[in-house]
Amino acid sequence: MPAGMVLAVVGGALIIAMFMNADATARKAAAPRGGEANYSWRQSIATGIASFSDFWRFTGPRERLDQALGKNTGPSDAERSEVEQLAAENAEEAQAVAEADLTPVLRAPTAEAPLKLWVGGDSVSADLGVSLEAIGAKSKLFTVRRDSRVSTGLSRPDFFDWPTHLARDVVPSEDPDVLVFMVGPNDSQNIPLDGGRRGYALGTPEWQQEYRLRVAGTMDALRSRDNDRLLLWVGTPQPGPGAGLKQQDTINWIVSEEAAKRPWVRYVDSWGLLNAPDGSFAARLPNADGQEYQMRQKDNIHLAIAGADRLAWSVWAVLGAQIDLSQSQVQPDPAQSAPADATERPSVPAPG
Amino acid sequence: MLFPTTEFAVFFLVVFTGSWLLRPHATAWRWGMLAASLFFYTNPLSPGHQDWKFALVLTGSAVGNWALAQAVWSSLGEGRARTVRSTWLVRFGVAANLGVLGYFKYTNFFVSFWENRLEDLGISVSHTTLNVVLPIAISFFTFQALSYVLDVGRGELAPVKLLDFAVYLTFFPHLVAGPIVRVGEFEPQINQRADPRFVESAEAFQLIFRGLFKKVVVSSYLATAVVDPVFANPDLYGRGALAVAMYAYAIQIYADFSGYTDMAIGLALLLGIRFPQNFDAPYRALSLQDFWRRWHMTLSRWLRDYLYIPLGGSRGTRGATFRNLFLTMLLGGLWHGANWTFVIWGALHGGFLIAERVVKERWARREPLGLPPLLVKVLQWWLTFNMVSLAWVFFRAPDFDVAWTFLTRLVVGGDVNQVLTHSMLGLVAVIALAVASQFVPPRVPARVTAVFATTPPAFQMACLAMGMVIVDALGPEGIAPFIYFQF
Repeated sequence: MPAGMVLAVVGGALIIAMFMNADATARKAAAPRGGEANYSWRQSIATGIASFSDFWRFTGPRERLDQALGKNTGPSDAERSEVEQLAAENAEEAQAVAEADLTPVLRAPTAEAPLKLWVGGDSVSADLGVSLEAIGAKSKLFTVRRDSRVSTGLSRPDFFDWPTHLARDVVPSEDPDVLVFMVGPNDSQNIPLDGGRRGYALGTPEWQQEYRLRVAGTMDALRSRDNDRLLLWVGTPQPGPGAGLKQQDTINWIVSEEAAKRPWVRYVDSWGLLNAPDGSFAARLPNADGQEYQMRQKDNIHLAIAGADRLAWSVWAVLGAQIDLSQSQVQPDPAQSAPADATERPSVPAPG
Repeated sequence: MLFPTTEFAVFFLVVFTGSWLLRPHATAWRWGMLAASLFFYTNPLSPGHQDWKFALVLTGSAVGNWALAQAVWSSLGEGRARTVRSTWLVRFGVAANLGVLGYFKYTNFFVSFWENRLEDLGISVSHTTLNVVLPIAISFFTFQALSYVLDVGRGELAPVKLLDFAVYLTFFPHLVAGPIVRVGEFEPQINQRADPRFVESAEAFQLIFRGLFKKVVVSSYLATAVVDPVFANPDLYGRGALAVAMYAYAIQIYADFSGYTDMAIGLALLLGIRFPQNFDAPYRALSLQDFWRRWHMTLSRWLRDYLYIPLGGSRGTRGATFRNLFLTMLLGGLWHGANWTFVIWGALHGGFLIAERVVKERWARREPLGLPPLLVKVLQWWLTFNMVSLAWVFFRAPDFDVAWTFLTRLVVGGDVNQVLTHSMLGLVAVIALAVASQFVPPRVPARVTAVFATTPPAFQMACLAMGMVIVDALGPEGIAPFIYFQF
C-alpha cells in the first residue's frame, strides 16, 4: 500500500478509535501518575474529546462492550439507587431515632445457635480472616465467612465497589450478625471522579472529605434496622519501610471519627496492637508468652500468621466486650495473643 | 515513551509522515530520524520524563564507539587482518563499553554485596550507596555498539558514517528493548531508499496488533490476576495457585517481550526498515537448545557470536565446551540485571543445557525404547516447557528468599491463607490457549495477512479502529511498563 494511503488508514483508524474510546482515554488521562494528580493539558484535551464523543454517542459501542465485559461500569443505576436508598433510609431512620440508643443488641451465641461473622476487605483482611476463622471454629460460637478481594479499597469503586457489594450481595443474602471490615493500603492513591475526568489528590482536604463520605456511606449502609448487627472496622496496620504507602493513619483517623459517631460501628486500632511499645513499626514483636514472633510479611504491609493471630485475638476481645461470649471455653493462646501492655491507642491523632 | 499509548500514536503519525516525506533526502531523513529517536528516548513532554543526561550517555556511546571503530579499522593489516594494535583497540572498546554498562548497572549491586560480606566478618563499613540510576535501554544499545566495534575489528564490516551509526544505535523502534539489530542488517536498508509506493502495511498491522494484544490483554491480565499477587506473597498460597502463577509468568514474560518485539518490528516495517525476527514460538521447543534458538533470538546469536565462540565454543574438549556453555548462560543471566536471581536463572539454563547434552549423548548410544515418536515429542516438549517455567521463577522473584519460598511451597505445599480472586479455570484456559497458539503454523497468519492486504483501505481502517477499541476494552486502565525496559 502506498505510504499516503497507509497514513490515511492509520490516521482514520486512530481518529475513529479516539472517539469510541474517549471515555476510557479521559479516565487514563486523569489517573494518578507517580502519586501526583495529573491535571494537565492531556486531561483537558481528553475531557474535551470525551464530551464531544458523549454528545454524539460515539462512545456507545465501547460502553456496551465494557458492560458485556463487566468493566468500568460500576453499579447499574438501579443498583446504585438501591444502595443510596438504603443509606438514605438508614440516615432518615437514624435521624428519627436520634434520641434512641443505637448500640446494637446481639444475642448470646451458643454452639447450637452460633452467630454469623463475615470478614472481608482487601488482602490484609484475608490474613486476619484465616485467624478469625480458626478462633470461630474453636469457640463454636461463630460461623465465619471470608470475603477478601485483593487490591481493593474505597478509592476505586470502578475496580471494586465495596459499599455496593456489601449492600447488594453480602447483607441481603448472608445477613451477618458481625462484620469485620478492613481496607486502607490500596487507598494510598488519588480518588478519580466522574469517570476519571477529575479527582482529588491523595491526602488533600478534598480527598479526606471524599474518603470520609465513602467511609460514612459504607457504615450507614451496614446498619441494621433491627439494631442487631455490629460492624468492627479494623484500622489499617502501619506500613513498614519500603512499603510505599501513604496517608494510612489519615485513613484510620477518618474511620475512627466516623465510627465514633455510630454506635453500631466499633473501630479497632491495629497500630496500637501491632506496633512496638514506642509506637514505631515492628516486623517482630513478643507475644503474651514472652517469645518474639514475625508479625509482618516481607512486604511490610501484610500480616504474617503470628500478626494475623495477634490481631484476631484482639478482635475476639473486642467482640467479648460487645457480645456475651460466656458460652465459649476459648481463652486467648499466650503464644498467639498480644501482651497486656499492647493495647489500642486511646485515639487516632489527626493528620498534620 | 511506551508504544501502547495515545502520545506514542500521535508521535508515530508525525514521524511516519515526516519519514516518508524526507526519504528522498537522505541526510535530512537521517537527522530527522535521529531527532525523533532522541525525542522518543527522553520524552520531554511527559511529566515523568527521563533525565536528558541519559541522552548524553546514548549519544556519547554512539560517538565514542564510532570513533573507536574508525581507529580499529585503520589499524587493521593487509587484507583486513587483525594486528596487535587493532586487537588492543577492540579490547579497550569492550572494556570501556562494559565499564560504562557495569557502572550504571552493577555499582549498587556490588557495593551492597561487599558491604554485607564485610559486615558478616564483623567489619563495619559506612554505607556508600551511590544510587546510580540506570538509563533505560543501556544494555541494548551497549550490546549493539559492541557488536559494531567487534565486527569492524574482525574485518567483517567496514565502518559506516557517524550519522548512519547514530541513527542505527538510537533508532526508536528497537532502542529500548530490541531486537538487537546489527549495523550490517540496518545500514544497507537506510542507504537503499525504500519505495513509498510499497509499504508492507498489512504485515506491519498484523504484527502491531498481535503485539498490542499480547502486551495489553494477555500480559496485563496474567500479571494482575495471578503473577503479581502470588509472587508478592508466595507463602500465602497453595500448590495449585503457585503452579498456575509459575506457568502464568512463563506466558506473561513471553507475551510482554515478544509483544514489544512484534510492535517494534511492525513499526519499523511501516518506516521501511525490516528487523530480524526475535521470537519463533519458543514454547513449542522440544529441547533447551531448541528453546534458545527460538527465544530472544537476537540476544542468543549475540551471545553465540561474541561470547560463546570467542571463548572457544564447541571446538575444544567436552569439558571446555560445557564450561563455555555455562559461562555464556551465566553472563547472559547477569546481563539481565544486577540481582543474584538473574545469575541463578542463567546458571540454571547453563546447567540444563549441559545436562541435556549429556543425556542426549547417552541416549544416542542406547537402543530406542520403542515409544511412539509422537509420545516422545510430547514428553520432550513437556519437560522443556516445565524446566523453562521453573527457571522463570528465579527471573521473576524479587530476591532469592521469595524464589525459594515459592519453589518449596510448590513442592511440599503448606497452609493456604489466600485464594485467587480470579477464576482458576479462566487462568488455566488463558495459559493453555497461549501455549496452543505456539503450535499454529506460520502459514496461517501469513495467509490472513495476505487476504487482509487485498481488502479495501476503508475496510482496513474499520478493522484497525475496532481492533484498537477491543484491545483497549480488554486491557486494564493504564499500561504497565514492559518487563524488558528494566534491562
